[in-house]
Amino acid sequence: MNAKNLFKMCVIGSLGMATLGLTLTFTASPAAAHGERSQEPFLRMRTAQWYDTRWNPQKTAVNDEAMLSGKIHISEDWPRAVVKPNRTFINVGSPSSVFTRLSSKVNGIPMMTSGPMEIGGDYEFVIKLRGRLPGHHHIHPMLAVNGAGPIAGPGGWMDISGNYKDFQNPVKLLVGGTIDTETAGLGAGLFWHGIWGILGFSWIGWFMIRPMFLIRARVLAQEGGDALLNDPVDRYVAYGMLGLVFFIIAIGFFVTDSQYPYTIPLQAGEPKIKATHLQSDLTMKVLNADYDVPGRALRMTILVTNSGEHPLRIGEFTTAGIRFLNKVGVANNMDPTYPPEIMATDGLNLEDESPINPGETREVKLDSRDSLWEVQRLMDLVHDPDQRFGGLVMSWDEAGNRHINSIAGNIIPVFTRATQS
Amino acid sequence: MALFRTAEIIKASKLPPEGVKLSRMIDAVYFLPIAYLGVFATFHMHFDLLAGDWDFWIDWKDRQFWVTVTPIVSVMYPGAIMYYFWTFYRQPFGATLSLTGLLVGKWITVVLAWYWWANFPMNFVMPATMVGSALILDCTLLLTRSWMLTAIFGVWAFAMMFNPTNYALFGYSHQPLVIDGQLMSLADYMGFTYVRTGTPEYIRIIEVGSLRTFGGHTVWISAFFSAFISMLMFTIWWQVGHFVGQSFFWVKGKRGKMTRMNDTMVIGSDEFAARHGTPDGVAPGARVTARTAATTLS
Repeated sequence: MNAKNLFKMCVIGSLGMATLGLTLTFTASPAAAHGERSQEPFLRMRTAQWYDTRWNPQKTAVNDEAMLSGKIHISEDWPRAVVKPNRTFINVGSPSSVFTRLSSKVNGIPMMTSGPMEIGGDYEFVIKLRGRLPGHHHIHPMLAVNGAGPIAGPGGWMDISGNYKDFQNPVKLLVGGTIDTETAGLGAGLFWHGIWGILGFSWIGWFMIRPMFLIRARVLAQEGGDALLNDPVDRYVAYGMLGLVFFIIAIGFFVTDSQYPYTIPLQAGEPKIKATHLQSDLTMKVLNADYDVPGRALRMTILVTNSGEHPLRIGEFTTAGIRFLNKVGVANNMDPTYPPEIMATDGLNLEDESPINPGETREVKLDSRDSLWEVQRLMDLVHDPDQRFGGLVMSWDEAGNRHINSIAGNIIPVFTRATQS
Repeated sequence: MALFRTAEIIKASKLPPEGVKLSRMIDAVYFLPIAYLGVFATFHMHFDLLAGDWDFWIDWKDRQFWVTVTPIVSVMYPGAIMYYFWTFYRQPFGATLSLTGLLVGKWITVVLAWYWWANFPMNFVMPATMVGSALILDCTLLLTRSWMLTAIFGVWAFAMMFNPTNYALFGYSHQPLVIDGQLMSLADYMGFTYVRTGTPEYIRIIEVGSLRTFGGHTVWISAFFSAFISMLMFTIWWQVGHFVGQSFFWVKGKRGKMTRMNDTMVIGSDEFAARHGTPDGVAPGARVTARTAATTLS
């Protein structure tokens, strides 16, 4: 090796060592979210509108049960660019299966498989979980829509303490007995893979113990080489191997068949879940809305009519799982466990905060203003192919009864700093 | 006729003892690090791209698509590899080599990717095995010494034996259970209970289609269908092996005409030199002399 090559090797080696050093120094940190902020605002604001989401309890131990629950309103203003929710699945967004899912009900109906959802419908979901992998995990409810992809709901932190080795996930079989899904069938799988692996490698090994390539190629190139390579012992071994393979397959099949006499195919049904609908004494129509880009505020004017019997006060605007509240909302709907990083408790302003009286129609100027618009990357609305917004407006009467309206409308971006309306 | 022909074969190769020893070293270097690792890496990628989810997840292993897709995808690569090893060396282990290679790759993935990295239990991501079917295919080729008969009988058995072979591994997962008043198989429940954020339930391609007549014997109808398509695929991929596995030289003849020589073994032989002469710069007979010298050493 000459000096030049030695120098090259040293340079390459140094680069390799430097790469290794960097890797060890800057270790990858665990993912703290699931990319929900990277989803386009029009997708997050006008498809699944999440509310009343709860992570309960937020601290659990391995094998303990927890609940992820909440409600989704399927926006009436579902975007044209997104496939309609004809086949959907309520899912859990988590870093691997940190919880196992024990049960999932939507409007009281089990949703083990996927099914359609109605545009404009309301669905209450309750997902029962069991702590599996210890850690500090960011958990989202998710609505997966076939053709559109997963739509992440609000994310909250859940802690699981304990040791994974203690985890068990027992399930009762219909024919009697209980098995643990963590280990069921593992022994049989390893055994049969081992058997077939041994046979396969033995077959190859049988040809490896004799000259394999160069010698055979030279013989084959000669006249009569093919006949010479047709070794009788190989034919006997092949007959034996064929018989052995069929015998093992038959044994495995019939033993398993007798071991599990009652089996069913995979189930591919579809739950038909009836939607409920939002209840409100208010009717709302968006007259105009603009998005103040530098001011990080969504300002809208809504025509509101109270056709009920009680005065109502607007207290919350929620969209994309992000909540903007005023004092009314805080007083009536403040969940202290809701993740503070996606809630602005002083983020909703009304020009006229007086209640909307029965029979009254009023133009309400509503301003949701907070840095969350930027932090949660909803300001990227200006880059969307569909310049509309959507969300839920919540109002309360004196008795604390909630009225929810789904609103949607065109939105005009304001690129220069404007005076507050 | 002797039972073992190894000595005869070595003698017929006309290699000196040093050459025989060297050929065994070439066998070791070529077979394990190059052929085996190359086949298992590329076949693994090929298989996972075409049949990955059916093989990854226990709740994808249905009576229709799993039984249909897996043999079809599994027979493609072995078809080409079998062509290569059989045509050039008369070695009948192309299919077993491919599918044990896939097995090794699969288990590396199961342990490192699914279990260690993604924290799924190994039984949930247990791969299917096709090694038994591969042995049938290789034995058929060795015994019939015909790729056409192998395509007809061997590949048919290759696909038909897939389900019975794997029933021993996955039969347990079809036991019924009831969750929230709903009947499910254990496999369905495992797919439900282990949360896969990026793989919602509707992604499963299972139990959809019309391969379900004959009194519900869906799995055998699917296996028959799979066997026929597998025969076609084997034939096509055998030809793919022929296309990519051929070696030839362009040789300049006495009159300066370029000729394609498919029989690479004839290059350098006396017969070749007599027919085509030798390349420019090489004295006629030099190659023959060199070759003769080599062979006379033995």
